[in-house]
Amino acid sequence: MTKILLRDKLDDCLTRWHAAGFDVVGPVRKNNISQYATVKKAGELDLGIILPDRTLKDLFFPQTEPMFSYRISKQKIDTEEYLPPGRQRIIFGARACDASAMAIDDPLFGWDYQDTYWFKRRNETVIVTIACTAADEFCMCTSLKLAPDSTQGSDILLRPLGDNRGWQVEELTDRGREAFSRIEALLEESPAQTAALADVPIKFDLDLCREWLQNPENFESHFWKEISMRCIGCGTCTFLCPTCHCFDFQDEGDTYTGIRRKNWDSCSFALFTMHTSGRNPRSTQSARWRQRIMHKFNYFPGKFNLNSCSGCGRCTRECPVDMGIIETLQEITKLSQ
Amino acid sequence: MSIQEQYRKKAAELLSSGEVKLVIGYGSGSTPDRRRALFARTADDAALFHVDAACDANLSGYLVNEGLLSDKKKIGIFLKPEGIRSVNILAAESQLDPDQIVILGFTEENGTVSGLQGTQASDFTSLMTALKENRTTSEKEQALVDKIEAMTPQERFAFWQAEFEKCIKCYACRQVCPMCYCKRCIVDNNQPQWVHTSSHTLGNFEWNLVRAFHLSGRCVECGGCDRACPVNIPLRLINRRMANEVLDAFDHFSGMNQNQEPVLASFKKDDPETFIL
Amino acid sequence: MSKPFEPKIVAFVCTYCTYAGADLAGTSRLKYPPNIRMVRLPCTGRISPMFILKALQKGADGVLVSGCHPGDCHFTHGNYHARRRWTVFRALLNFTGIPLERIRFSWISAAEGVKFAELISSLTEDIRKLGPFEQYKAMIHETEAPVSL
Repeated sequence: MTKILLRDKLDDCLTRWHAAGFDVVGPVRKNNISQYATVKKAGELDLGIILPDRTLKDLFFPQTEPMFSYRISKQKIDTEEYLPPGRQRIIFGARACDASAMAIDDPLFGWDYQDTYWFKRRNETVIVTIACTAADEFCMCTSLKLAPDSTQGSDILLRPLGDNRGWQVEELTDRGREAFSRIEALLEESPAQTAALADVPIKFDLDLCREWLQNPENFESHFWKEISMRCIGCGTCTFLCPTCHCFDFQDEGDTYTGIRRKNWDSCSFALFTMHTSGRNPRSTQSARWRQRIMHKFNYFPGKFNLNSCSGCGRCTRECPVDMGIIETLQEITKLSQ
Repeated sequence: MSIQEQYRKKAAELLSSGEVKLVIGYGSGSTPDRRRALFARTADDAALFHVDAACDANLSGYLVNEGLLSDKKKIGIFLKPEGIRSVNILAAESQLDPDQIVILGFTEENGTVSGLQGTQASDFTSLMTALKENRTTSEKEQALVDKIEAMTPQERFAFWQAEFEKCIKCYACRQVCPMCYCKRCIVDNNQPQWVHTSSHTLGNFEWNLVRAFHLSGRCVECGGCDRACPVNIPLRLINRRMANEVLDAFDHFSGMNQNQEPVLASFKKDDPETFIL
Repeated sequence: MSKPFEPKIVAFVCTYCTYAGADLAGTSRLKYPPNIRMVRLPCTGRISPMFILKALQKGADGVLVSGCHPGDCHFTHGNYHARRRWTVFRALLNFTGIPLERIRFSWISAAEGVKFAELISSLTEDIRKLGPFEQYKAMIHETEAPVSL
């Protein structure tokens, strides 16, 4: 006997969570795009989406974020700091890859300096993940040694029932338990069986890839030029990546008054590494693509013992020129066999 | 022989005879319905080319990749009529020498592809004239344009605001566009910084206006930006509207030939001026 | 009580004609509303659509672009180029919902002080009737406020 949450109780759950001061966020399809958005009623949620177009990172690390405003006068400099507003949130219906991505970025945002913006939102958010029973041809969590029911980054894991009437509840953290205590009365004890998880075939050998990437001889390999020839240098893969976390500061305003913002930046952009002198250490697109792959699968694991990829596959799914991590790592797997 | 076989053979001949150093075409993609750019350097590579209805990208943007044409050697490229128009514009704007481009032209209608006669951009002049005369819009697209045109300014503003709000400034629309070849885009300039680089709605709105303006009279409506946009902003509607404007006001159809004067770098003394007080 | 709405209008003008026309209006003691902020440029050919966007970004309720009559350009054809550019940019603004009443274009020569004063008066009244450009101002406001995430 395990605890289950029935689909038709969702509206009541939302009412209770709202009453307890939580905002509820979940996958929503609106205006020709799907993303995690705040909802008032359960009916607004689209839990059938295999994976929303936009990632969960948007909710913790928005594409543009004001940090502080400044006003410079002859006598002094006034600043006003902006912090996230501090709303308790429940993300209902995250996917395991998206939730894992948050756990991947936690050490990054906290290793030398605690990123206030990231951790304030992380600490105020409960992530309720629903395990996947369907996948598409770009899903690759298993290749990253994750799974459709990975628990990393999640506070609650819901496993869909075989009859699609609801979900089996697995409480993973205290924060998750606290949020679910608010709906304790709506949960049931049931022996119902869970549905089969999505079958996500393994697409490349991660260990072989890491080995190949670590070999300094391969840094200047002609492979990088060949594989990235059609890359156009846009930011689609990085901006739709749940783990990509690079940002840039931008002062909006003038010398005397304005706002400093933290904006997403992408290693695919030619300007990313451009020096003021005009020199660009990564002057070709192949060097930029190599950096992206090296960072995710060599440097990041070297530092944090984690791959900076959770296998959501959005980079390949959305790439305007049909590139992406899958093809590159498949080719590297072949090269190292 | 199917068109695909013919063109594979043609590409292989071009490569093995040494007439071209490279052929840019379409290869298999990561799923059966996807095609991706394929760069063939040998006759063997040419056997991997596809020519079918799934070949939708306008590959001409790759021609202006830094240094690709600087050795004066020729390059073969698979192009649809819009791609040929792009080559004409790039030639007219002195970005490439059209003599270096060997075109393997094809066109697609209702899912069937057929070959186009000619190998030089200048061989397709009559095709361009026909395209100008027979400009068509899909019913669905026309319905949407009509809907937008019928709105009040406030409603139109709200419509585009909701669309541009989605923009994440990944610049896929710019990067995929053959006409966006600037070494440094105006939005990446910060001295002076005309438009916001931040991806808030205002910054997105400004960016999309600037992009559309810079493509006015230059866009060939290949639809690349629209397909590339990861957040599905209907960019083709704006481009279409601007193309209509230059056609109606100045009888300008972009990319007719390689000597065409850019519409915003030329004028007629009797250009219409209905709105100037 | 809140202050009555006073439109802010930015005028980008050519120094050889409209600016001189404004001078003439001044020396002729012609009255026109003080809602206009003039930016003097060497030629209408120098006026980039970026200027118009910048004016809106900084909170303008209206923009005027004005230069020499066709045929009178100090540089022979700067205004012909400008005319094409405006035709296209105006269509774009219209299609994206920026009311054309707010973005105006005119030819005013150095001799047309009266036309200048009358145009500024009617433009100011028109925009006063339209009210502040609330839709654009809402976007500007969003850039100045912290995110609500």
